[in-house]
Amino acid sequence: MRRTLRIYRRSLGAHLRAVLEYEADFWVLIVAGLLFQVLNLIFLSAVFAHVPALNGWSYPEAVLLAGTYGFVNGLGPLFFEGTWRLAGKINHGELDYPLTRPAPVLVQVVSGGIGLHGVGDLIGGGAMIGWGLAHSDIDWSPARIGGGLLLLASSATILLSLIVVGNAASFWVGGNHPVFAMTLIRTGDMAKYPLSIYGVAVRATFTVLVPYAFISFFPASWLLGKESAWIGLLTPLVALYCVYLARLVFRLGLRRYDSAGH
Amino acid sequence: MRPYLGLLRMSTRRILTYRLNSLILWIGGATFLAGSLAVWHALLSQGAIGGYDWDQMKAYLLVGWATASIGSAYGDWWMASRIFDGHVATDLTKPLDYQWARFSEHMGGLATEFIAIAIAATAIVTFTGGLVVPGPGQALLFAVSFLLVAPLKFTIAYITTMACFWTQNFMGVSWAKDAVVTLFSGALIPLALLPAWLAGPAAVLPFASITATPAALYLGQATGWEALRLLAVQAAWVLVLWWGARLIWRRALRALTVHGG
Repeated sequence: MRRTLRIYRRSLGAHLRAVLEYEADFWVLIVAGLLFQVLNLIFLSAVFAHVPALNGWSYPEAVLLAGTYGFVNGLGPLFFEGTWRLAGKINHGELDYPLTRPAPVLVQVVSGGIGLHGVGDLIGGGAMIGWGLAHSDIDWSPARIGGGLLLLASSATILLSLIVVGNAASFWVGGNHPVFAMTLIRTGDMAKYPLSIYGVAVRATFTVLVPYAFISFFPASWLLGKESAWIGLLTPLVALYCVYLARLVFRLGLRRYDSAGH
Repeated sequence: MRPYLGLLRMSTRRILTYRLNSLILWIGGATFLAGSLAVWHALLSQGAIGGYDWDQMKAYLLVGWATASIGSAYGDWWMASRIFDGHVATDLTKPLDYQWARFSEHMGGLATEFIAIAIAATAIVTFTGGLVVPGPGQALLFAVSFLLVAPLKFTIAYITTMACFWTQNFMGVSWAKDAVVTLFSGALIPLALLPAWLAGPAAVLPFASITATPAALYLGQATGWEALRLLAVQAAWVLVLWWGARLIWRRALRALTVHGG
């Protein structure tokens, strides 16, 4: 386990050093990430200038929800960016190299890149969380703080696992671009808003089939003491299930890999 | 003319080669549209916002989504990767105008995009109970402005992609462009609902011609001379950006470095 972590860290570090060579790109990426969080904020503030609440969610609460989603989304590019290159690696037969090296294939794939736009997401999302928390009515206690952090870690685990599942689908879909993962993660963008605004089909799908709702809606509901807040406490269990699913799908996919014939 | 038509056909075929990919991308786009419809349905349940009721907002979102889908089929990504890996050098030796060639590739995606838009429109009419339909005059104005969106979006994407001559990474540049276009075109939220400090720049930037103009014509918010003025502004931006791109291209070529070969 420790060896695996060290490999992950060194591989990620190598990519970080490579990316930092290009200073202009560094700033462009961070600004791009930040811009998307600013867009979310502009949308919410423009809308809430005209309505007092969105299905019982006030402006600060909605900002907290969108901020959580943005923050968690920033972790993907920073720590799991290599996953998005899996489709290209399969398509070009480049997965041969990780397969011959003495380290877990998934770890090598996941650490095969770093996207600095995640920094922009973390800054923008983090600021929105902070502002939302400061302006929401929350009954703070040590248990609430610890629980909140645990739920945040769990929701990050869920999203990162979904990224792996979506990209591992490239073993079956083929093609050079991870379109399935793009669609899977983009659909999750609907979880930026309170789940209760959607129809029953979407609510059921987002809770049971693909647990987007556990990335931001249920944890935030628990923190704010919303209706059926207890579901938020299931987030760690959902996270464990997603990790299991991600490993399983990746393994099954890897068995299908047949290189590209050089 | 013939080589350009050839490029156009080739780019259509390239998209159709990965049919499953295209289909999944369409589904992704459709869920995005469904998501924004749901958000606005909830927002508008207590009454109109900024003059938009549910029926008008439905039409607005469809026009916004349709204008956003046009020309999104990777043309700029192909161009970017050819600049990075140096293949652009072979493009330069061809007896073709580089800008017209890329424009042809850009237009090659339109056929498939129109089908996707038609399917989405049909789905909205079926599942949400009808759609506002403009009169024949407004419909014609809308059609003209909708067609102008294709070259307009091309020039914006083309100019943005030329940043690749100076940077090593297209993703950040492309995303920053997408964010700016989404905000100032009216695709994020109708420009009338933006705060004044954003509505001001939105009014003078070219991006409003991408979504706000076709939507205003479709919904009949701009009629008569005002409608013609909007169309003229749109056409003027296409010309200005087309020739502006040629100026930038000349400078960009001087920044091009290709190693080996």
